[in-house]
Amino acid sequence: MEELNLIRLAQAGDTLAFRSLFEENKQQVFGIAFRYLKNAEDAEDVLQDTFIKAYHALHNYSPEKGVNFGCWLNRICVNASIDALRRNKVREAHSLDTEEVVDVRANSPRSNPEKTALDKEIRGKIDQALTSLSPKQRMIFILRHYQEYNTREIAEYMNSTEGSVKKHLFRAIDTIKKRLRRLIMENDYGL
Amino acid sequence: MDCKKATNLITLSLYGELDEKDRAVLDRHVRECRACAAEMEYTKKVFKLLDEHKPALAAEPDWERSWQKIQSGISRTPAKNKAPLFPRWRWVYAGSAIAAVLILGIVIGKYWFAPSQKPVQIASPMTASPVSLQPALSSHLDDIKPVLLEYAHYTAGDQGTKKIVIDEKIVRGLLLQNLLLKRILAEKDPAAAELLDDLDLVLKEIANQPSQSEQAPSQIKDLIDQRGILFKMEVLKTL
Repeated sequence: MEELNLIRLAQAGDTLAFRSLFEENKQQVFGIAFRYLKNAEDAEDVLQDTFIKAYHALHNYSPEKGVNFGCWLNRICVNASIDALRRNKVREAHSLDTEEVVDVRANSPRSNPEKTALDKEIRGKIDQALTSLSPKQRMIFILRHYQEYNTREIAEYMNSTEGSVKKHLFRAIDTIKKRLRRLIMENDYGL
Repeated sequence: MDCKKATNLITLSLYGELDEKDRAVLDRHVRECRACAAEMEYTKKVFKLLDEHKPALAAEPDWERSWQKIQSGISRTPAKNKAPLFPRWRWVYAGSAIAAVLILGIVIGKYWFAPSQKPVQIASPMTASPVSLQPALSSHLDDIKPVLLEYAHYTAGDQGTKKIVIDEKIVRGLLLQNLLLKRILAEKDPAAAELLDDLDLVLKEIANQPSQSEQAPSQIKDLIDQRGILFKMEVLKTL
């Protein structure tokens, strides 16, 4: 069934139609929340929160306005994630070791222990760099770099302007570059 | 182009968000500026590092469990019922409510915290006196005035007014009354206290004048005139 029809049915209170919308968009929403919060449990909470909020706000959503449903959901998810991060500042500190992240490359039979240790160190440095960003800068960086949305789309999700998004992105990149400079210089990484 | 702007354009260029015109400008700048060329190389390394160590997604959550929680969240409050009564006007209502609260706050604040509106007091000896003493002072001046007028109208050699006879007890009574008022008003009303000082002097002269002396009334008259006592009394009563 077309997304538009599913939305119409969900707006009329059809939970099965809403379930279909959940199935279509759950990966994308969870991906943003997880990459931002670096914690599966918190990301799951944000996923649920996002869809509950979306359901209750469905009467405000109008496809005629030109915003697609995925984009509208992302906007809710972005706000819920930023709120969750602000609420869970304590848990943030414990998530730095990124133990919850399951990296299939590290577990592959061909991986060597030295490289795995170095990778873990690098990932730790990257995590520290991301944690040093403001919640807004961090979200913009993750949406741009990992989720690969362009700055215009990010501006829509964050209810901001493209200029403001770019400004935050430049600051985020600048901070990350400064934080990783020593690591890159010491390891002559990428040369 | 300055190097700061070039640094920002390098970021956009690596994300593929640079139009042809800006790209050409950036390329030209990087060719001419060693620092920016190095910055571009370094940024590429950072991007490569970030890409190669992209945090992998966690194991997928239990989608079914998530959906169950969403469903229970949804069923608690149906979507239709959550619609605001007047969605289009909600900002108008919110704005009006805020404005009303502000106006109410200003009005309450104005009356509640404003300093009490006491009438501005001109330094008037009469009004400055404590309310309970004003009639007493006024009455005292009325009592003393006829005595002073006797001396003020005295003319030496005039047969009719050659002698002024005033009961000593009255004079002593006035002196006592004058003394009490002077003590009370000494700090509270300096102008009245000054007048009472003058009156004290005059009353003492009257009380102590030799009974047969013909010069004494003239001296007292001069004292009253020199000190402008009658004038001061009039001023005090009119203010």
